[in-house]
Amino acid sequence: MTLRLNINQRKGLVGSTLLSLLILAIVGAYYLWGESYQARILYATFVNLLVVVGLQVFMGNAKITSFSHSAFMGIAAYVAAICVTPAAMKAISLPDAPWGLNAFELSPLVSVLLALSITGILGLLTGLFMARLTGVGVTIVSIAILVIVHSIFLHRTDIFKGNQAFFGIPKIFDLPHITILAIAAIFIARLFRESAFGLQLRACADDEIGARAMGVDVYRTRLIAWVIGTLFFATAGIAYAFFLGTISARPFYFNFVFLTVAMLILGGLRSVSGAVIGTLLITIGLEVVRWLETGPDLGIIKMPQMLGLSGLLLGVVIVAVMTFLPNGIMGNREIEEIFKKDPG
Amino acid sequence: MLQIESLKVFHGLIEAVHGIDIKISKGQCVCLLGPNGAGKTSTLSSITGTARATGSVRLDGNDIMALSIEERCKRGIAISPEGRRIFSNLSIQDNMIMGGAIRRDKTRLAQEIEEWISHFPVLGERRNQPAGTLSGGEQQMLAIVRALLSKPRILLLDEPSLGLAPQITARVFEIIRDLKKQEMTILLVEQNVAAAMEVSDYVYVLNNGAISSHGDVGKFGDGSDLMDELMGVHR
Repeated sequence: MTLRLNINQRKGLVGSTLLSLLILAIVGAYYLWGESYQARILYATFVNLLVVVGLQVFMGNAKITSFSHSAFMGIAAYVAAICVTPAAMKAISLPDAPWGLNAFELSPLVSVLLALSITGILGLLTGLFMARLTGVGVTIVSIAILVIVHSIFLHRTDIFKGNQAFFGIPKIFDLPHITILAIAAIFIARLFRESAFGLQLRACADDEIGARAMGVDVYRTRLIAWVIGTLFFATAGIAYAFFLGTISARPFYFNFVFLTVAMLILGGLRSVSGAVIGTLLITIGLEVVRWLETGPDLGIIKMPQMLGLSGLLLGVVIVAVMTFLPNGIMGNREIEEIFKKDPG
Repeated sequence: MLQIESLKVFHGLIEAVHGIDIKISKGQCVCLLGPNGAGKTSTLSSITGTARATGSVRLDGNDIMALSIEERCKRGIAISPEGRRIFSNLSIQDNMIMGGAIRRDKTRLAQEIEEWISHFPVLGERRNQPAGTLSGGEQQMLAIVRALLSKPRILLLDEPSLGLAPQITARVFEIIRDLKKQEMTILLVEQNVAAAMEVSDYVYVLNNGAISSHGDVGKFGDGSDLMDELMGVHR
């Protein structure tokens, strides 16, 4: 890839900078006024942001729904965790692991590279047939991938420990790391959207035959976007494992898929700014709902306990947005175009 | 330049075109006339590769029937499809960039886009807006410009006057006349007989999937007999 940026990419730099300033403002506010428990919320938000922005790369540009992202996230998280956790710790947590998986340890950098390459290769292999499928075919196969990977996590307990915690992962990342990753993700996704590949992918979403008649290799374009997407999910998975210190199969399944897809749909899947805004809004919404769930005392009235409200909220958001705002909040617009009317 | 021989086009099990021959020389504007359902668009689809067909389509002597849609575009075939089919969610400028997707000389492409925009200021004023917001006539201009930006050797125009107001139709045919002056090879599909005959060198009349008559444009006089034939009027 040449370093020369096209006109749209230069506009993209402006938009990405604005989004990054928003992220930095949030982090800055936390360091000035935040309480320490909020660091975890912020970290989780930015992990979600990595995933949602990664979803935008394939699902948003190609306009093909896929649900396998948390599987790729899980694969990277487990690979990184198995590589980086000290052998002494693994002797306790994975006593029955085959192939000497519990008898070695690698540096964080090597672990990250290994996790990224393994997930990237799996992304490439799945992409080889995903890119040939169209529309609903991709969606169904992506669900199958999610289910397959999850059942491997659940049932190979000697390696993955299933629903029990895989513990002892050193805490390598903290808020500054994930902030940098989130900002990098925003820039990369936006530059991809405005690149020749991104444009071709968006053209295919409008009229696939038309784009092919213009000489676009739809298959190659989709494959590239799919693999780049999986690398975003892999990064998110690694960041998740490196902060929490404990992982299990459960978080890498439907609930998480549902959450991140809702974020993308709310913000508007055609735009990177939409992905970021959707993530932030749903996170804020969920925090408020969690507080309401506990039945807080509002001074005048004492609210009742309402457990399960957060799941309800996500469902309502998806239904409401699909009905009243099918293009999400941002539609075709990016943040630097926010004052432009969106006719789309 | 383009030679079509015993071409049959199929839509599923139905044979829409029953073995036709068409020849287009370099710099010629050939017109394919016919009523609805005659097989005009099917013929174009078999040239661009979007419809299943048998027979031969040769571009400069090379059979292109086995090539993919993308490869045919790279060989120099561009189409302004029926009903425009611009990328409605992409901006006008991005539609033009897509037109030149196969080109390597991106700087030159950018210059050409500017030239076209100075030609059609309305496209320039709204270059960053979604192309779906353009009027029908503007979309037609955009579709033609988009096709031309791939630097085609032959341009296929599928009913460019469809659904346009008379003044705008006149404008579209003005563009076709300009292209002819620049020696662009054109295959024009039309139902607007009078306007099409004015810009064409050679005419093929397609009826029920077969060519019922063809010849130099002079052979058909002012086209009124042809009009009657296409409309099914018998005098």
